[in-house]
Amino acid sequence: MENAKQAENNFNYLSGLINFVVAFGIVWLLWYIFMNPNTVMKLYTPMYGFALVVVMLAMIVMLSNVFDYYPFKPPASTANPVGTGILLTVAAVVLMLVIHYVFFWNFIGKFGIAYFSPDSIVASGGTGGEPWNARENASTAIIYFFTAFLWVSLFWNLGFGRWPWQKVDRGTLAFSRLFTILFFVAIIYIILFHPHICYLFYPAQDKAGVAPWWEELTQTGSAFFGLGLALCSLFWIVASELLWDGWPWKAMDRNDEGNFVKGIVVFFVTLALGAILLWVFLKIFVLIWNEPFMGGQYTDGPDWRLIHAGEIAGFFILAAFILETYFNKFPNLSNLWARAVVRTAIAVVIGLLWYWFYYSPLATFFLAKVEGFAQPGDTPLVFIMLFLCVILIQRNFFDRWPLKRRA
Amino acid sequence: MQRRSFLKSIAASGLAASVAGSTNFMLPRKAHAAKKTDIGEVKSVRVDVLTETSWFDNDQFKKDIMDYGGAMTNQYTIPWVWDNAGGYSALITVTTLEGNERKFMLDTGWNTEWMDYIYQEKSDVANMLKKGEIEFLVLSHWHLDHYWGIESTLKHKDDIKFYVPKTYYPEDMALLKDKAHHKAKDKNTGEMMHICKNDVPFKGELVLCDPDGEDGQGVYKIMPGVAIRMFDVPILLRVRGENVLYFNVKDKGIVTVTGCCHPGILSLFSYARNNFKGYQPYGCYGGLHISLFETWEPKFDDIIKGVKAFKIQKLGCNHCTGWVWAERAAEAGVPVVKGTDTYKSYKRTSTVAKASNVFLTNGDSIVF
Repeated sequence: MENAKQAENNFNYLSGLINFVVAFGIVWLLWYIFMNPNTVMKLYTPMYGFALVVVMLAMIVMLSNVFDYYPFKPPASTANPVGTGILLTVAAVVLMLVIHYVFFWNFIGKFGIAYFSPDSIVASGGTGGEPWNARENASTAIIYFFTAFLWVSLFWNLGFGRWPWQKVDRGTLAFSRLFTILFFVAIIYIILFHPHICYLFYPAQDKAGVAPWWEELTQTGSAFFGLGLALCSLFWIVASELLWDGWPWKAMDRNDEGNFVKGIVVFFVTLALGAILLWVFLKIFVLIWNEPFMGGQYTDGPDWRLIHAGEIAGFFILAAFILETYFNKFPNLSNLWARAVVRTAIAVVIGLLWYWFYYSPLATFFLAKVEGFAQPGDTPLVFIMLFLCVILIQRNFFDRWPLKRRA
Repeated sequence: MQRRSFLKSIAASGLAASVAGSTNFMLPRKAHAAKKTDIGEVKSVRVDVLTETSWFDNDQFKKDIMDYGGAMTNQYTIPWVWDNAGGYSALITVTTLEGNERKFMLDTGWNTEWMDYIYQEKSDVANMLKKGEIEFLVLSHWHLDHYWGIESTLKHKDDIKFYVPKTYYPEDMALLKDKAHHKAKDKNTGEMMHICKNDVPFKGELVLCDPDGEDGQGVYKIMPGVAIRMFDVPILLRVRGENVLYFNVKDKGIVTVTGCCHPGILSLFSYARNNFKGYQPYGCYGGLHISLFETWEPKFDDIIKGVKAFKIQKLGCNHCTGWVWAERAAEAGVPVVKGTDTYKSYKRTSTVAKASNVFLTNGDSIVF
């Protein structure tokens, strides 16, 4: 494992730590400007701000993982990562605004599915047909759609990679992969999330969507079931890509490329592992907060427990990216198993530290959050995704600048 | 953003954190589940709805919140439309096992003009306070519509015993004790708008309720058969913690009376099931905090199914329950106690009131 040793020796951990602190400072500043309920933009309503952040993260992932930076030069191949980084960041912000406000609010929502547009919901009148609630409901639908997008995109990158378009030009690869991913995103969205959105209205839109089919299993009609499952599965996808150096899936590569079998195996195995992780979290919650029951609120609610499982998985995902980006995937042991296990353990500990931070008085100080679990109108996923946006912009768009660039 | 307001915001956040005290990790049951508490019994409980119309125009109230940053916003920073303000307050009469009647109040409303009208013209509360017939006041939580009308109570009895959640903010205490006149900035005009005041400083005994309760039992036994339990939950508009009233009615069972029921109605019964001796579910009254803004989501269907599963036999609701939820619950077979048309004789009525009368509204009462 010469490469691992070399990576260990060449990395400046103090520089990584300073970068991490600066990144947190940027996240805090962004939170202060855009999300803090006592300051400027006050977008954390929460769904409106949540939707903007998740779309932003999706655009970053789309440009880097799905498009492989097409039509821009990949940052790793340019001499000027700062210029490329700025260009890609601006592109992601513009795409976010266009997709959120133009495509969903004013195109899909106005000419197709009303619940994607606040204006269309208000125009339809009836229960909840007022601007605030309409914006929250439209935002909820957008959040679910892009959660599915993040799930499929990140899985696709790990499982299929460039398959079956290894031999085409960059543009063809980018759009072929995007439209294929969107096809599966649509299916996942329709099955896991659309029924919930249809039941956000009274009377329920039961000709458009079935009653939540998971209610018997989860004791709730809320789509937090799908959200929790997606995020728990995403943890395994991120962990195996970042912390396990792509193993064990790498064993199925052909000519260092993904393929059909690998893609299918990665999807179903990470889905199964995600379901197991979700189940483990739910069991731990029972030990802490007793059994949940249908109709329970706060920590007693089965719906809250499902999203909370996803939130903890989100903290672990955040921790994995922090470890990979700012601490060089420490430790770079020569034994694959040892480094995978130790890195995962470290990521879990860092994730739990973030969890503690978010529910401590520190978050009241930094984020103006009211202390306590299960606050209506609060989910740590917004903070997590905002932090991931900042990390991914530095890691993917700026090729880690000012940290050492990729080898 | 000016440096001064930037620092002020940081300081406010930090101050809130320090006032809030120790971290709330909501691991409540382990401390109390082992030993069940006997809160005693009462013969009956009557709740008179003094006012449950905390605001009259639901859309205006929502707009005020939306315009100033949504659910997490500090309630003292919103220039609420004063004309839309009403209040929440209830008079509770307990008949003891010996047959004596004892009275106390839950909450004290918002708009002092509305609350004066309620206490002086639509009920005998003002006189009862003066005569000392009302023994004490319980504050469910520090929300504006339950607390900012405190002057209307104190002007008749400034030394009334007052049970409040421990989780107050400096602005709350200034309003209670320091003749505060709070104002909030209108973001369009820059004008500082009056939002609440109290010119009658509180002089009575203040009981700060926390989840440990008296002697670590988790509750405050305020009279035989009656207890307060403080649930330390985070709430909308930067508020924390709610006091809930429990009554153990002889031969019937546990009744909860709530201001807003933020912890969740089923969680209240779950707490009683785990912690009270001889638990039998019976009834509830109050805002149930379900469809606060007359909206819908799958969770509300869950609650209907849950209420039926918990076998609650008498459900009186109003305020933040949501008419839409109460109507749907009644249709689904939940034993919702219907109100009357008395509310129509009040000088203001809510824009969401409907002929179905599924709310116990202003002027109605319920006996458990």
